[in-house]
Amino acid sequence: MEPFAWQPAASPSEAASIATHTTAEAMLTLTGRPDTQQAMLIKAGGVDLLDLMKEGLVNPGRLIDISRLPDLDGISGEPDGGVRIGALATLARIAAHPALQQSHAALSQAAALAASPQIRNRATLGGNLLQRPRCWYFRSAAHHCLRKGGAHCFAFPGDNRYHAVFANQGCAIVHASTPATALAAYRAEVELADSAGHRRRVPLADFFVLPQADMHRENTLARGELLTAVWLPPQKPDCRAQYLQIGERAAFDWPLAAVAAVLDMDGTGHCRQASIVLGAAAPVPWRARQAEALLAGARIDSATAAAAGEAALAGATPLSQNAYKLPLLAALVRRAVLSAAAIDTVLPANPGAP
Amino acid sequence: MANEHRKEDAAAAGRIAGPAPLPIVLRVNGETRELMVEPRTTLAEALRGPLGLTGTKIACNHGVCSACTVWLDDLAVASCSVLAIEVGERRITTIEGLAGQDRLHPVQAAFIDYDAVQCGFCTPGLVMSCAALLARNPRPDRKEIETAISGHLCRCGTYPHVVQAMLALGTREEPDLE
Amino acid sequence: MNDEFPRRREHFPVGLAHLGLETVEREIPADEPPALGPNAGLRQIGKNAPRWDARAKVTGAARYTVDVSLPGMLHAAVLRSPWPHARLRSIDLSRAAAAPGVHAALTVAEPPVSGKPIVLRYVGQPVAAVAAETPALAQAALQLIDVRYEPLPFVTDPDRAKQADAPAVYRKPELDKVPSAGLPASAAVYPLSGNVLGPESRNSRGDVATGFAEAAVVVDGTYRTQVQTHCCMEPHAIVASWHEDGLDVWMSTQFTAGVRVQLARHFGLPLSRVRVQVQAMGGGFGSKSQMGVYGRTAVSLSRLAGAPVRLVYRRDEEHMDSGNRPSSEQHLRIGARSDGTLTAISLHSHGSAGIAFGAAPGGIASALYPCPNMESLHYDVFTNAGPSCAMRGPGNTQGAFALEQSIDELAEKLALDPIVLRDRIDPSPVHREERRMGAERIGWSQRRAPASDPGPLKRGVGMAQSLWPANVQINTACEVRLWRDGSVEVLSSVQDIGTGVGTVLAQVVAEELGLEPAAIRVRIGDTEFPSGPPSYGSRTTASITPPARTAAWRVKEAFFRTIASAWQVDAHTLIVQDGSIQVRNDPQRRISWQEAAAALRTDRISATAGRADDYAGFRYRSGDAAMALNDLGGAQFAEVEVDTESGVIRVLRVVAVHDCGRPINPRQIESQVQGGVLMGISYALMEERILDSHTGWMLNPNFVDYKVLGPQDAPEIDVVLLENYQGFSASDAYGISEPANIATAAAIANAVYNAIGVRIRSLPMTPAAVLQALGLVPGGRH
Ligand SMILES: Cc1cc2nc3c(=O)[nH]c(=O)nc-3n(C[C@H](O)[C@H](O)[C@H](O)COP(=O)(O)OP(=O)(O)OC[C@H]3O[C@@H](n4cnc5c(N)ncnc54)[C@H](O)[C@@H]3O)c2cc1C
Ligand code: SF4
Repeated sequence: MEPFAWQPAASPSEAASIATHTTAEAMLTLTGRPDTQQAMLIKAGGVDLLDLMKEGLVNPGRLIDISRLPDLDGISGEPDGGVRIGALATLARIAAHPALQQSHAALSQAAALAASPQIRNRATLGGNLLQRPRCWYFRSAAHHCLRKGGAHCFAFPGDNRYHAVFANQGCAIVHASTPATALAAYRAEVELADSAGHRRRVPLADFFVLPQADMHRENTLARGELLTAVWLPPQKPDCRAQYLQIGERAAFDWPLAAVAAVLDMDGTGHCRQASIVLGAAAPVPWRARQAEALLAGARIDSATAAAAGEAALAGATPLSQNAYKLPLLAALVRRAVLSAAAIDTVLPANPGAP
Repeated sequence: MANEHRKEDAAAAGRIAGPAPLPIVLRVNGETRELMVEPRTTLAEALRGPLGLTGTKIACNHGVCSACTVWLDDLAVASCSVLAIEVGERRITTIEGLAGQDRLHPVQAAFIDYDAVQCGFCTPGLVMSCAALLARNPRPDRKEIETAISGHLCRCGTYPHVVQAMLALGTREEPDLE
Repeated sequence: MNDEFPRRREHFPVGLAHLGLETVEREIPADEPPALGPNAGLRQIGKNAPRWDARAKVTGAARYTVDVSLPGMLHAAVLRSPWPHARLRSIDLSRAAAAPGVHAALTVAEPPVSGKPIVLRYVGQPVAAVAAETPALAQAALQLIDVRYEPLPFVTDPDRAKQADAPAVYRKPELDKVPSAGLPASAAVYPLSGNVLGPESRNSRGDVATGFAEAAVVVDGTYRTQVQTHCCMEPHAIVASWHEDGLDVWMSTQFTAGVRVQLARHFGLPLSRVRVQVQAMGGGFGSKSQMGVYGRTAVSLSRLAGAPVRLVYRRDEEHMDSGNRPSSEQHLRIGARSDGTLTAISLHSHGSAGIAFGAAPGGIASALYPCPNMESLHYDVFTNAGPSCAMRGPGNTQGAFALEQSIDELAEKLALDPIVLRDRIDPSPVHREERRMGAERIGWSQRRAPASDPGPLKRGVGMAQSLWPANVQINTACEVRLWRDGSVEVLSSVQDIGTGVGTVLAQVVAEELGLEPAAIRVRIGDTEFPSGPPSYGSRTTASITPPARTAAWRVKEAFFRTIASAWQVDAHTLIVQDGSIQVRNDPQRRISWQEAAAALRTDRISATAGRADDYAGFRYRSGDAAMALNDLGGAQFAEVEVDTESGVIRVLRVVAVHDCGRPINPRQIESQVQGGVLMGISYALMEERILDSHTGWMLNPNFVDYKVLGPQDAPEIDVVLLENYQGFSASDAYGISEPANIATAAAIANAVYNAIGVRIRSLPMTPAAVLQALGLVPGGRH
């Protein structure tokens, strides 16, 4: 890592006002340029930021540490039954939170499967949602690719086995956050605050951006903005959820494919409404709308679940080496639906789940 | 005195420290240690360098192998992914401080008994994770043990003996020792 | 018989202990100890003494090379080629050398032919190096090296490299500089066509055309294995201190004595002035056997700077430039009569060791099952990739993956059980017993036809065998010292890289002297002591334990003579028991070990013994290396569960039945077998070095995308050890590391076939590969 100065933030608004760039902006405008030292960046747990800095992908002049700010790590139930999770809550706390395990099981499951115990003890939810992609070309300083402001994408002609199968024109990253898949299925919102202390809430679906919209960032976080919380809407009493992922290792591995399913069941085996979101499939948590449509109002059985799995693949555009993700995603959707509806829980999917 | 003052400043909110080396204070293994670090110095580097606590190992430097596991208060963390300057008042426990001088923690003794050690490079980290588990769960089952050590890489393949050693420390599952 | 070397006759137990032993008479050198009885009658050997350095390792006190810090020590950093193939146009170190805190800078890359320009042939190849006061200063100084490259066309994919129009990695005159991934050898003796070197035809015999003509059935398959990197947890590391008296080196090495010789030669120093040490060592697996570029670089920097220099590789440097297991593409054909008798084996292989050569898939196809007609043609394919070197069971691990699947396929064609077929074609009684025991433990009799499970989760059982020569390093010595206070030391330069050889030495010496292993001080890993063997080729225990026992026995003889003369008895009537020495059958004549030692005339008595030839001779011998008459084997059985919808293979259980002569510390052997199996599963299911064919860079030089098996991927492993007595040496012990790794991937592949009825002939068997093999991936099968 290059040398940098250190500043513990006194308050969220101070942090927001000092930060000169988002990490994405700094990497884009400053990579490899001498003025890279101008950037002052927000650091939470530091897991992703230090990783990028060790690889020389960004060399900020100053880190503004928000990790010790008080009152940003709470997990609290709201009067309406929703839950607010402070941006500094760690993945370990989210995974182990008893109320969340009850109300939003898919999120607990996803948080528990992300990274390792050591990392979950440090990684904050805010930082997790804002971490940069894991595309191996992106993570290699030797490959100055499109997303970093370069001229081409190396993944299309190169090795794209771990890349996106949906919405992958131009850049084929998959979104790196495991919890985001579950959060998107719950239709969560992020809370953003600026230096004046103004807060706004944005649906996760609008917060994340596709490469077609902006090639150079994964979300609409603006400079001078802090992610302060994630809001989970209340769940209907009959809502059932399941998060499933498959990796090459049984644990501590970014998934090859993942799915979060939230089903609003009517008590007679029918599903009122379904939310199906695919992970490791697209540059953003990918909502499988056709699968959702198919499930809404349907009786959940193996046939509808299988049909939902097929429907989830609508619009897929696999690359030269990642077509294997299609059968994988279809199988995961089918299993997650059956498992959420408590019809079939025999099939394993999260071998590494605690 | 002047030094004392600067140290407090560095930790104080709102103040800028570095990039030049600065003095900090760490609470390591029950002792208060003063040392000079740059803001970019990781906790693992600070432990192994100025503090001379080389039992903590760096094998990947990216949080992927967990060989550098230490405790911050009661939490096992990868010390390569923590900056020394941000530790503050939290208690650091390293492999050297796990048991008292010339004593062995039960996990250490079990590792010896079950030969849960080969080249030993990943061992201090594994011991720290296992001891952290035992502190919050004195009778872990196989699944809990495997989850607790899921962040570790051991190329010699000590996992089965580590699990055996840990099972022997609890009583839920009888270890199958021949 | 040679009169100068007196010999005597001894009676040795031979056979498999659990089946009953016989006795064989052998003539042995008179200065070797008497035959050792079977383990059942011994007090230390065959018992699970705790690992000698376990306490230091679990408390963090163990000192690895990365922990060595000398006063005034500098830190080195290496500038590496960003190009897969480039001519070095110019390099100017002056700015870097003048940078703050920098004490030395030098060019590391060497021209292929002296006088010719330097050519860099893979991304990550060392170009230059600096030594500075801190690691950060060294790293910063690299950026000040003014270097200009002229990029050249390159090729990283072996299939592409084979084509006639592929960019050439080497030219013919450069061949004698090509590094060897195997035994010391020169590539220049083989023909070169484009990037294809060879053929090398080893082990060919008979006439395969005739053999295939006689065959009732023929199996024919092409198998592919990937490049695997060693992933030692401790990176390559060295601390070099060049000083007036010579050179002191601390190095994470598998061979202190060998590295000393290489350093002395390279730097023109007498052996007497070069010392190499290693205390704790964080894994090698074949990658840390040589002086290496990192060794030469650190020493050169130390000489230039006049200060000690530490060089430690980062993880990405480890992956790109510290060796790897070469890839292979094996086209294997086997013909057999209808009763299973083999009539012909033909193995045509290609393999890439990157810019090195020596990627042959071992000799297992020619040696495991005797067959009169064998043709083995191997071609090395050069690519612009980091050089391979030996890796745990080099060659045979790749070879077993093809051979053992082919044998299973043959069994199926012949409608024979795979074990029945092997019983017919494998003449080794030890292997037969290993198969029998393994089959019993895994429940082979319950094994079902392929793809028997109706649901998406399918279970299967498979097995495979390994084969590895029982290597011995002749150039091995060990010293044992007894001090006047009764304390005992065992000394050798042999290093403990995690195998537990230190424990084994203590046990062997303790056995001979009637003491406890904990009472023996183990002093190893230092070339100041008698030269020990390397820790590779599964030869360490086989080489060092006989001289250790011999030295202890000689010390005991000398010690007993002093006591016997004081007591006026025959020294041969003395025995040692429970820390006392007494006259056999006369408990009155008894003295404690310490008291007896106190009466020594000198402060200590000591004996140094060398490795005698195996008593029954060697099968092969060349220079310092030899091979015992019998090979090491092992049969591994795996039970897997394949999720046919996700492609995930879970290995549920492995039974590993192995022989290593006389087991000395069963628990440590179990540890090592588990390690071999786990490395094999990791190889089978997930590991792969991935190079970008457009830029030549390794895409996964880390542990995130280069996947290594973790705790949750590890199955239950049932290790069964045979006691196989042969009466070959003073300890009769042999190695285990490599046989434990060779069969695993093949056993899993056979189990996967049994589970799903589809044969997977390439590694790694990732979910993507399994889905592909099942025909579930749009775009069709491979
Ligand atoms: C080996 C390894 C394996 C991993 N595996 C997984 C996995 O399986 N699944 C998964 O989801 N993740 C995984 N991760 C990623 C990890 O979860 C993230 O790196 C971590 O969550 C980031 O959180 P942090 O608090 O450390 O963020 P930081 O590194 O501190 O910050 C990340 C980014 O967010 C910005 N930032 C952080 N907080 C805020 C805020 N509140 N407001 C505005 N900006 C902010 C920072 O400027 C920075 O750009 C893995 C990481 C490692 C190293
Ligand atoms: S997929 Fe995106 S991040 Fe990866 S190389 Fe292409 S442009 Fe860069």
